[in-house]
Amino acid sequence: MRKWFAPKRLLLAAAVAAATFGPNLLCPSQAQARVKLITLPVRERVEIQLDNATATLVEEERIVPLVKGENQVDFSWANTQIDPNTIVFRVVAPVGDKPLDVKVLSVSYPPNEAALIWSVGSSDSGSARVRISYLLGNLTKSFNYRAVASKDEKTLVLSEYMRLQNFANEEFGSTNLFAGYGKTFLKPIGLNETKEMLVQKFEKVPIKKTYTCNVAEYGWLDQPQQKLRVPMHYVLKNDKANQLGAHPLPYGKARIFIDGGGEGGTAFLGEDWGRFTPIDDEMKLYLGVAQDIVVKRTLEKNERKHVSGNLFHQEVIVKYEIENFKDQAVTLDVVENLRHVRNEVRGDSGRDVEWELGKETTFQGGPDKERSTFEQLTFHANLPARAKDGKAEKITHKLHVLIKNEW
Amino acid sequence: MRRFAIFSLLALFVALEGRTVRADNIDLSTVPSRDTVQLTIYNSEDITLVRETRAVTFKKGLNPLQFSWANTLIDPTSVQLRFLNQADKLDLLDTTFPHAKPQMLYWNVQSEIDGAATIEISYFTSGITWTADYIAIADADEKAMGLEGFVRVYNNSGEEYENAQVRLVVGTINLVEKIAQLAQVPITDVAKMQSDKLEEFKKDATRRFMEKAGGMGGKAGDLDAQKAKEIVKEGLSEYFIFTIEGTETVPAGWSKRLRSLEGKAVPFRIQYRYRPAEYGDQLVRMYLLTNDEKSKLGGSPLPDGVVRVFRASGKEGLSYLTQQAIKYVPIGDKIELNLGPDPEVIFELIKLRSFRDELMLQVHGTSEFRKVGGDMVIKQENASIAGWDDHEVFTQRIRNYSGKDIEVEVRRTFPGHVVFRSNLEPKLHDYQTVEFLTRLAAGKRADLLFEVVHKQGTSVKQNNVTLQTGEVKP
Repeated sequence: MRKWFAPKRLLLAAAVAAATFGPNLLCPSQAQARVKLITLPVRERVEIQLDNATATLVEEERIVPLVKGENQVDFSWANTQIDPNTIVFRVVAPVGDKPLDVKVLSVSYPPNEAALIWSVGSSDSGSARVRISYLLGNLTKSFNYRAVASKDEKTLVLSEYMRLQNFANEEFGSTNLFAGYGKTFLKPIGLNETKEMLVQKFEKVPIKKTYTCNVAEYGWLDQPQQKLRVPMHYVLKNDKANQLGAHPLPYGKARIFIDGGGEGGTAFLGEDWGRFTPIDDEMKLYLGVAQDIVVKRTLEKNERKHVSGNLFHQEVIVKYEIENFKDQAVTLDVVENLRHVRNEVRGDSGRDVEWELGKETTFQGGPDKERSTFEQLTFHANLPARAKDGKAEKITHKLHVLIKNEW
Repeated sequence: MRRFAIFSLLALFVALEGRTVRADNIDLSTVPSRDTVQLTIYNSEDITLVRETRAVTFKKGLNPLQFSWANTLIDPTSVQLRFLNQADKLDLLDTTFPHAKPQMLYWNVQSEIDGAATIEISYFTSGITWTADYIAIADADEKAMGLEGFVRVYNNSGEEYENAQVRLVVGTINLVEKIAQLAQVPITDVAKMQSDKLEEFKKDATRRFMEKAGGMGGKAGDLDAQKAKEIVKEGLSEYFIFTIEGTETVPAGWSKRLRSLEGKAVPFRIQYRYRPAEYGDQLVRMYLLTNDEKSKLGGSPLPDGVVRVFRASGKEGLSYLTQQAIKYVPIGDKIELNLGPDPEVIFELIKLRSFRDELMLQVHGTSEFRKVGGDMVIKQENASIAGWDDHEVFTQRIRNYSGKDIEVEVRRTFPGHVVFRSNLEPKLHDYQTVEFLTRLAAGKRADLLFEVVHKQGTSVKQNNVTLQTGEVKP
């Protein structure tokens, strides 16, 4: 047993006693007898690669003194969650001008110990710069965002942070940390320490503030009165035109603030989970329910049109009565899921909805093609600001749809 | 600690009635040491054939030998004694397993000589196993990789084998079938055996197989201390034997890992694949390489094992990509490493339209069918829809932000009677799975349009997919 490893959790020891080694180093009795002198090569450099979604790779560089012939290099990791099968020993750039031909001859694993012993052959006596890589458990990362919207809610400052939690029971001195993109951080990481680092800061990211009603997704604010919930979102697009687009935005919690301007400082608007957002996709951050936009949704028409046998079409008109009590004009996204409509008027047949728009549809320009799918339509309704006397104009829109070939 | 030993017994007081169990209270023994040991280890069965040789001095007449194996996992019924020289002058008369000492046996050897002979003792033990694993490190530009293979021998048998020649049997072995072939026994006869007889038969047949695999190798000379041991691979029948150069000592409880192959600059290519049956409902990135000489591999099959895949960062560091268990890879076969989804390649299936046509009514109480909207338009009251076609128009949208040109293979399975219409030049992977391939330049987006027509109700005439070439309107 190599008791000298006990005080340290993760330790590399090179046993320099090559002259006394026979070809068989692994007998326990020999293992004890072989130790005449051991050196403890310190970590010269540590890199922690956090680019993998599920695993953390630690790479440590040490300068290991070797003698000509066969050497024994012991590596132990008491009380840490190193996956021993992932440990890779590589010789990198030579130390000084004297390149050594260094090879791992075999690896031995003693019983009941978190340790291994490399048998390393060296062409000459000298020092080798080695990198030891391994996956380490309980050293995890997560991402979060701080979004500060401008007072006019046209842009925001998006700060992306990486939070590293070290419960791996091992501390690392000055360590290079790399998230897979952005800059590399050089930080010490202490035991049980949580460290948060600013990965990137994006200034003046254009945003759209959206108001949306969609009974299938967001439901009713007051169902007896047929009033819809109108959630608000900040929508930012992850592309170059919008100051982003360098890499996919990882999943993480976003805390949203608004700049009050002047000495008002910032006000907290809420928080939401930002989903993983590939380049060119949009991240929607939920801000809560709009109180000043009232949308009343009614089914104005529901008429069955017989075709033949038990085959029929269903003609439906959905009416939206919308009032904007805000002081500024806004655009409301009216989203209607036609499967939901079909299920409302005649129940679910399990089949896709086959439909065509009717002439009584009032939304100008028809559905937004980018945001509509084969069964969900998105329309935009422009709502003027309320009048100076506080009254809101009631805007009425209709969606006229023929649901075809039902039985 | 040595747990088993052979004793040459010099019984002084009792006449040597070899066929009776010994009950002497006073004994004298000599202990011939092991000269050579050979371990032949399977990885598919927990079975290892141990052969050891010892020099024993015999005297003329009857020579009792005692062999014991306390606290080990040796199968006592498998222990065999063979004379490697002087065989014509030595006879094994009998073997006795004393009731009171379960981990011991006696052999009575009749000798015509006064002198030394080399004996071989072979037996099966369990607890010695081996596994393979691999480390693949792709170059930063992902054109070639270093692929190292390792074998790791575990000794949990309770016995320490010093300076043993170690041989590893590679191959997914179904003992009954493969061994039955070697033993030239019809498989039907094997199936009829009682389980205990079958077990005995398996072991006997395994022994025959091992005997075919070659004799005991001697100790290698001193190896160059700087040189990693070579693992010699040789094919034998359906199997491969990996023989570790020289000898190894694997103490009880320890395991030891040695490099079994080293492929430098092994070429590989990258393909993105959507195969839900194999990789789940996601587009995955694959490294594809071949176990052949052209790829600087192919020296032997690759045994089952876990591959751990890294990519060089170009700054001496590594990125961890994945780990994956691979099955036995024969020489010449492909090695396919699934790296999982790539966040920089977005793969979306978007349904653009859905409609129905070819609607057929069945008149109630008859076997008469009428097509809705056909030339024979009759407004039929007493009829129900009995057959129709469901049309779905899709775009398979792929966006490539990876910075490299990519190749994407898509396989989609459509159960039922289906017509697949597109200009994608697809082919049928099987009767219900369509496969198509596309290349996409860096930074580009592709919209691959296709229409799927599902025959429904009485329109269903087949259970397969028909490919049709045709333009698809979004």
